[in-house]
Amino acid sequence: MSIREELLKLVGTEKFTDSPEVLKAYSTDFSLVPSGIPNYVVKPKKTEDVRKVVEFANEHSIPVVPVSSSAHFYGTTIPKQGGIVLDLTGMNKIFEIDELNRRVRIEAGVTWEQLTNELGKKGFRIIMPLLPHPLRSVVTDYLEREVPTNTVYDYGEPLQSMEVVWPTGEIFRTGSASVAGYPDSPSKGANPSGPGLDFYRLLQGAQGTMGVVTWANFKIEYLPKIDKILFAPVPELDYALEFLYRVLRLRIGQECLLLNNVDLAAIIADDWSKDFEKLRASLPPWTLIMVISGLQRHPEGKIQYEEKMLGEVLRNEFPEIHLADNLPGFPSLSKKLLPMLRKPWPNKVTYWKERYKGGCQSLFFIAKPTQASKFITNVEQIAARHGYPISDIGSYLQPIEHNRACHLEFNFFYNPESRSDVEMVRSLYDEAAKVLLSEGALFTRPYGEELTRLVYEKAADYTMTLRRVKKIFDPNNIMNPGKLCF
Amino acid sequence: MAISKEAYKVLESIVGSEYISNDPTICEGYRSGPGGYESGLGYERVMTRIPGCVIMPRTTEETQKIVKVCNRYKIPYVPYSTGFYGPRSHPHVSDALIIDLKRMDDFEIDEKHLYAIVGSGVIYSELQAEAMRRGLYIVIGGGGAQVSAIANMIGDGWSPLSYRVGLPHRRILGTELILPDGELVRLGSLAFQDDYHWGEGPGPDLRGLLRGFTGHRGFLGIVTKMAIKLLPFQPERLEPTGISPNTALKLPERRVKWINFTMPSKDSMRRAMVEMANAEIGAGATKVPIFWRAIARAKSKEEFWELWSKENEEKIANFHVLRVLLVGFTSEEQLEYEENVLMEIIGELGGEARRTRPTDESWFKNADSAGMWLMCGGYVSVDYVIETVEHAIPHGENYAKLKRNYTPPLMPDYGDPGWFQSFELGHQGYSEFLVYWDPDENTDGVDQFYLETSKENIRKRFYTSLLGSHQPLYLTGPAYGPNYHKWLLKIKDEFDPQFICHPPVPLNHDVFVERAEWLKPQKDWESPELPKAL
Amino acid sequence: MPKSKVSLDVTQVENFVFDMSRCIKCKGCTWVDHIYMPGVKYSTRCPSATKYLFDSYGAYGKMRIGVAMVEGRLGYSDELLKILYACTLCGACDVGCKRNLDLEIELTLEALRIKAVKDGKGPMPKHKKIAQKIMQKHNFFGSHHENRKKWLTDDIKPSPKADLLYFVGCSASYTHPEIARATAKILNTSGTPFMLLPDEWCCGNMLYSVGMIDEARELAQRNIDAVRQTGANILLTSCAEGYRMWKVDYPKMLNISTADLGFKVVHLTEYVDELIKKGALKLSNRIDLRLTYHDPCSLSRLSEPWVPWKGERGLWGVVNPPLERRRGTNGVYQPPRDILNSIPGVELVEMIRMRENAFCCGAGRGTKEAFPDFASWAAGQRLVEAKEVGAEAIVSACPWCKDNFTDAVKNNGKSLKVLDFSELVLSAIEGTGKRR
Repeated sequence: MSIREELLKLVGTEKFTDSPEVLKAYSTDFSLVPSGIPNYVVKPKKTEDVRKVVEFANEHSIPVVPVSSSAHFYGTTIPKQGGIVLDLTGMNKIFEIDELNRRVRIEAGVTWEQLTNELGKKGFRIIMPLLPHPLRSVVTDYLEREVPTNTVYDYGEPLQSMEVVWPTGEIFRTGSASVAGYPDSPSKGANPSGPGLDFYRLLQGAQGTMGVVTWANFKIEYLPKIDKILFAPVPELDYALEFLYRVLRLRIGQECLLLNNVDLAAIIADDWSKDFEKLRASLPPWTLIMVISGLQRHPEGKIQYEEKMLGEVLRNEFPEIHLADNLPGFPSLSKKLLPMLRKPWPNKVTYWKERYKGGCQSLFFIAKPTQASKFITNVEQIAARHGYPISDIGSYLQPIEHNRACHLEFNFFYNPESRSDVEMVRSLYDEAAKVLLSEGALFTRPYGEELTRLVYEKAADYTMTLRRVKKIFDPNNIMNPGKLCF
Repeated sequence: MAISKEAYKVLESIVGSEYISNDPTICEGYRSGPGGYESGLGYERVMTRIPGCVIMPRTTEETQKIVKVCNRYKIPYVPYSTGFYGPRSHPHVSDALIIDLKRMDDFEIDEKHLYAIVGSGVIYSELQAEAMRRGLYIVIGGGGAQVSAIANMIGDGWSPLSYRVGLPHRRILGTELILPDGELVRLGSLAFQDDYHWGEGPGPDLRGLLRGFTGHRGFLGIVTKMAIKLLPFQPERLEPTGISPNTALKLPERRVKWINFTMPSKDSMRRAMVEMANAEIGAGATKVPIFWRAIARAKSKEEFWELWSKENEEKIANFHVLRVLLVGFTSEEQLEYEENVLMEIIGELGGEARRTRPTDESWFKNADSAGMWLMCGGYVSVDYVIETVEHAIPHGENYAKLKRNYTPPLMPDYGDPGWFQSFELGHQGYSEFLVYWDPDENTDGVDQFYLETSKENIRKRFYTSLLGSHQPLYLTGPAYGPNYHKWLLKIKDEFDPQFICHPPVPLNHDVFVERAEWLKPQKDWESPELPKAL
Repeated sequence: MPKSKVSLDVTQVENFVFDMSRCIKCKGCTWVDHIYMPGVKYSTRCPSATKYLFDSYGAYGKMRIGVAMVEGRLGYSDELLKILYACTLCGACDVGCKRNLDLEIELTLEALRIKAVKDGKGPMPKHKKIAQKIMQKHNFFGSHHENRKKWLTDDIKPSPKADLLYFVGCSASYTHPEIARATAKILNTSGTPFMLLPDEWCCGNMLYSVGMIDEARELAQRNIDAVRQTGANILLTSCAEGYRMWKVDYPKMLNISTADLGFKVVHLTEYVDELIKKGALKLSNRIDLRLTYHDPCSLSRLSEPWVPWKGERGLWGVVNPPLERRRGTNGVYQPPRDILNSIPGVELVEMIRMRENAFCCGAGRGTKEAFPDFASWAAGQRLVEAKEVGAEAIVSACPWCKDNFTDAVKNNGKSLKVLDFSELVLSAIEGTGKRR
């Protein structure tokens, strides 16, 4: 029997396809990563399906590329060496919403749209990155360490235990889900770590190279009873960041982020072409957005004390920052933006990053907020060198953990139909990555071939050790080969 | 085999003659027992040895060289920060080299970016003092402020202060790790550049190698430096007061406050924790085990026993004291707000506030942890686990039942179901079961109880921190994962093919069961022949 | 296990096997009390452990070594003797352990030295030499015994008979006469009559401390008899080591309580405190000085009175009858501070490690003589600390501290004044009070 026949027999026709149109769909994504075609696509319905396929692939040294979302921006799921795309989007059960322990257990195919809706019905939410694509897998986005907009430290790292199929085809549960018989156990899976080794860490940022995660537990939070969203035009970025160093350390606020005029315009524009240009021109260069909330009991009391302290700090230490319920000149912004921050991007509406020109290449990394201005200057200089208009760059700064660090993101919008645009952005991205890396930007999630290569070259010792670990779990290097440093 | 003269000379040339010794008296000073954590038990008697040599490096470079020399000359070695963890942090084979890391006490703090970089010789007590001076704080693990911050961060790392900030895994940043074969790997931002401030990546996070739910106890290399997150606290000083032994931190009452509550039932205590967590208030919430109250009141061991002998099962069963910490992180108004909410919750559940001293003798500096040994001289946590509060309660109750069969030699605790708390704002719950014995008595029962707890966890499907090297790997391995032990041993084999880094860990408890006659009746699981290297 | 008989008798090291075998390696003996922990600097209070670094040099290592010695598993060696003796018995370990665990660390260390001497292996050669001097010349230095009262000047008037006897001690008599003179003048100025022993001999501090208990006991009995013969009700000393010997170790050696000595033992700091409170002394001269006070170990941690104890120990280690342990809580900490602070112009700044957390100067009990580098190093550590808090002078209440600090200042050229409590008090009262 040929491989194809064996595979077909193993999974059944319903779950198998290798039609050219389908294969083509998996061969590219929204990124600039070169296309790569899989040989087969299998759509498992349950973990056992996944196990069978992975075991089979391992026996025959066939690459496996796990895919859990319906929209991809980083090129992570484009097969480099052919093989089987394991499309888990059909594994989209929400197993349990555990109110007592504020936990949800979901399969890999559960999307942001699906989850936020279901949680919302019960008065819960899950903290989330900025406006994720509605059809992205929540499990994948947290495995990939997408940075949340909510800066409450206690909510951080919501990923708990999970189930993984190792590249050898063995099913394994991490953390406290590792007890026999889970979930039929006193253990609810709330602890991500162990058993014996912190397997969950090895699966994070792995782009599917270490195994296939089939479900995971996450922390969930109550929806606040009262929310107040506040805005401030930012007179000078460093000044605003000093303000955040001061105020986020006081544990004030829920969501807190900074967007430049381009990104914010792309997000809030209603009627596309008219609004966007007007907004881009009239929004301040940067806008600080901060949500303060009252929680389950006496919500007004929490709002009161946070506002009081906020007010004191602003008055006495940061008089140039004018934080208010609305951005001057944009009276309906608060009503619009707050609900948006608690949901993924609406389905059936062009994703905000694609709205401007159709394509967007995001360059992001972790940095100390004090470095932000320097990196912005770097990027502008490089953009100018490549003929990319500075006024087109979207920027997003997400404070992390009391602003001890930040996620800094540059969005280069481009027309994917234009070859010259594509080439320009590609070379701009590559140069920016190189320069920023040498200037101290932390690309902890390297996406893109050139950036990935540079990062792993720079982190040589780490790379060596990572390869040794990978060999243990994936001796035949079948999991998404060619990604990261593998 | 004693360390050869050649090897000794090479080691001496790395650190200088002042910092290495194979003198028998020096080595005797490094003996695990007879006193200590988990000491005076069979494990300690059967498994521990004094070292054949002790070396004290000053830097990562020196440590790396030492490890490479050990690999060259096949010298078993054990990384050692304070040795407080008892027998498991001491050599288990003869003529081993203890790499005593106490000279690695470098310290740097980046107050703005909320982290401190420490060497393995820095203890929590020092770090907490530095943090608090700057309006910050850290979680000091239950083991006490005297433990090495790094050792605890990769070993255990939680206490009532974990109510907010939970797992220590979240607080580990850039780290230097010398793998057992001597390769140095830098984790997090350190992988890219001379910068400790970020812990993840690039890509898959090799911090996964540092520990599991609890640590490796030194079998997978040596961490020589680590950046640890500091957490925002509040600006008022916690003033040290008193003269030994009655020292305590005076709390700035409008910013930091403990309140003890008597609750009508255990379930109401659990519900209080749940409600507090749902309301997202508090900075600590823990059940108070009654013997702690007796320890706190007693001025001596004799007084403790006098108080303790007046307790009985009925009293214990009805003793429900919840101790809550409030911190006005944001402001005094925050504390007021939280106190109002807390009182509302307690009122709903029928609890009552008791008069509570405005001082902290223990948790912020965890200065009291050594007091655990005051009662009996012997102590071990026979299990401790972070899961959910739902898991915590039956876990403790289960142990209380099991423990009856082993009392004596265990200290009578009148059925106290252990200690439980809320962690990570109620997303997790913690339970710990502590046992005590008199080391001068026959303590075989304690060894048996310890092993039995592992089987009980497996039977009842409880999660537990006592995996890895804490219990027989071939017993727990198949039951968790399943087969986590397979991966652990593969990792061990990859990075320590000669098995010289703290042999025979992680198979130490398996070896112990083989050697201890009084445990043989309990062995009902399969285990292969242990590696020749052991 | 059946109950065992136990007592606090340091001549039988078996009495302390329990304590040695209950040490948990928490290093409370080494670290500053965590409540008072200042940070990464000045974090320890055991000079031996801090200098020599190997665990074996801290009390937690010594406890293990002690068990091995008693069980016959460890033979004597140069290293073992160094571990036993490169230590001032400053009591930091004892107080540190007793915060939580109540193990008798200090007594254990004393008992191990006594054992070493009994076994014919201890003390250090330098100690033996000094012991000979003490035996032959009745003083630590081997100086002429007849010169013991040479410190007396014409303006000092002891009485032939008085309630109070000033026990001068070897150091103040021979090498730091300024302390003896200052003390005597303070007494004179306050109108306190005092007598001296007709034939004062060394208190035997070093003998006891290094484990030569038989010689020390003999000397103690002789000295006590001599004091009793004078009819003194109060024995005053300006030497912390002497204070501790008289108040604690003499009764300990003779198996009596401090209260049974027949006279009260008082240090100059305590006595000046009393004198000021009853108006007999007024510290009114101005001294413009920013100073720090170094707590001498024997006046602070180790100064609580002695009560002999014997009983039984049973299950859980519970002893019967109950034992009131000496934990250093009631040391003479506050009076010297209050007094110094009250001198006009004086600014008292505290070192980072103070009171029961103080870092021993490194000299006491013959340690300096046997381990001069260690003593110099320890003093150097303390001087750095004094400088760190901006002190211009370091003040202590023991001539051995003064001696060691003075040498250390000389060696490292730091510009820090080294003064004794008595000298400062004298400067503050000179010319102001009564004269006899």
